Amino acid sequence: MFKKLDDRELAFLENIVHVRNYGTDEVVFGEGDVGSGMYCIRTGQVQIYKLDEHGNEIEQAVLEAGDFFGEIALTASRPRCAAARTTEPTVLIGLFRSDMIEAVRRHPVPSSKIMLGLNRVISDRLLQCNLQMEVLKKQLAALQKKQSDE
Amino acid sequence: MNSSSGMSRAQVAVLYLVLTTAIASGIVIYSSASTVTALFKTATTGLFLPLLLSLIVSFLLDPAVQFFEGQKINRTLSIFIVYILMFSLFFLFLLIVGPPNWEGMINALKADFPRYISRAIEWLSGLLAVAQQHFPFITNYDLSERLRATSQTFFGVVLMQTPRSAIKIGSLLLLVPLFSFFFLRDSRRIMRSLISLTPNRYFEMVLDIYAHVSWQLSHFIRGRILEALIIGIVVWIGLSLTDIRYAPILAVIAGATNLVPYIGPLIGMIPGLVIALVDLGMGGQFWWILCVYVLIAQIILDNFILIPILISKVSNLHPLWVILAIIMGGKLYGVMGMIIGVPIASIINIIFIEIHQYRRSFNLYNRYFTNRGKLL
Repeated sequence: MFKKLDDRELAFLENIVHVRNYGTDEVVFGEGDVGSGMYCIRTGQVQIYKLDEHGNEIEQAVLEAGDFFGEIALTASRPRCAAARTTEPTVLIGLFRSDMIEAVRRHPVPSSKIMLGLNRVISDRLLQCNLQMEVLKKQLAALQKKQSDE
Repeated sequence: MNSSSGMSRAQVAVLYLVLTTAIASGIVIYSSASTVTALFKTATTGLFLPLLLSLIVSFLLDPAVQFFEGQKINRTLSIFIVYILMFSLFFLFLLIVGPPNWEGMINALKADFPRYISRAIEWLSGLLAVAQQHFPFITNYDLSERLRATSQTFFGVVLMQTPRSAIKIGSLLLLVPLFSFFFLRDSRRIMRSLISLTPNRYFEMVLDIYAHVSWQLSHFIRGRILEALIIGIVVWIGLSLTDIRYAPILAVIAGATNLVPYIGPLIGMIPGLVIALVDLGMGGQFWWILCVYVLIAQIILDNFILIPILISKVSNLHPLWVILAIIMGGKLYGVMGMIIGVPIASIINIIFIEIHQYRRSFNLYNRYFTNRGKLL
């Protein structure tokens, strides 16, 4: 997401992010919370999970240093679709919408590069989702055909 | 040897000693705390106004600084450029228009003031006499004498305060640009370090609310100041078309009082109308001045153009709060308090509205508290 930024633009990015320290088992955000930004993992580990109707946790992913999450909230205020919790002492770098909006006004060039990077990541994930959905649809059609044959 | 309560004499002595020490240290802490508060109060006296004005100036200049920052100039240099531009524009304006003779005008006004008041009292007495013919129960109310006493007190205060105000204005001219410079340069850094103290769980919420409040505030303050400035200029132009004296002073009064909603414009037009009535009589010029104050400045310009464009409806206060803010502001800081009381009340109102809207939109209470009100 940030790989196309040069040194000066990375220095600018450093000025608009917030570095946050978390302990073990600390909730970063809950499912349904108002999202206002994304997080990159500098060190540590973060578990992404959802709650089923009985309140049991269903693990979605475990993210390591260098990964990022919550990027959808960077552009629009939407409820978080999953919860995030640290599993060990973790340092997160938060990039938030309010800072991004101000940065777009004050430094349009590096900000638009960051937004384009974000757009690329979201597009990649959308493409992956579409491909997975195609595979699932095919699997479902095969299952339905098998059931009707039986 | 045990006492009846089951404690030995030594234990009772220790307890007595501990209690006495606790009370004594409590008193010492309390008195030193109040001394510290008193010292703090003395040290910060007179800083409130320059700090507030600097905050307003920094809100006003921030868009210009941002513009230069967008041209790849660093922030400190951008602030210097904006300062130089502002001062140059001001001097250019003075060169073109010519500085109004403020001192001469104020001295002339001081000389004329008793004449205006006595004429106004005469006029009011005439009005009262007519009223008394129709409503005999108000005969005992000595309006003119009351007005005379009040105006004499007011005039005395004005005479006494003028040299003091000059010193105050001199210090403001020095302090406000200095404070504004630091506000413009470092406010973001200061706020970021303050917000970073928030616990992780509430960090996003606090950051979001801060962003909303500061956006609303900057728009509100810029809107109000621009509104006052435009009203002042329009009144100045409108009054300059007539033979009325003291047009610049009256324009400044109209602009400054316009910062107080509802009551402000009414008070702002009184001096102009009194001067017009006394000097020009109730002719065409008087009606034109009334038209400038009421129809052009207030109804057409302020209500139909400026308020809808510059100030959002969210930040408008209920009239009751406006009156309370004026009274409380007046009690705390006199006339200046009356002017800044309403904007400060509006600022508090904006903060409450933002927090309330945030809570309502996203039901924050249920997210952070259990049904019994316990923090999750």
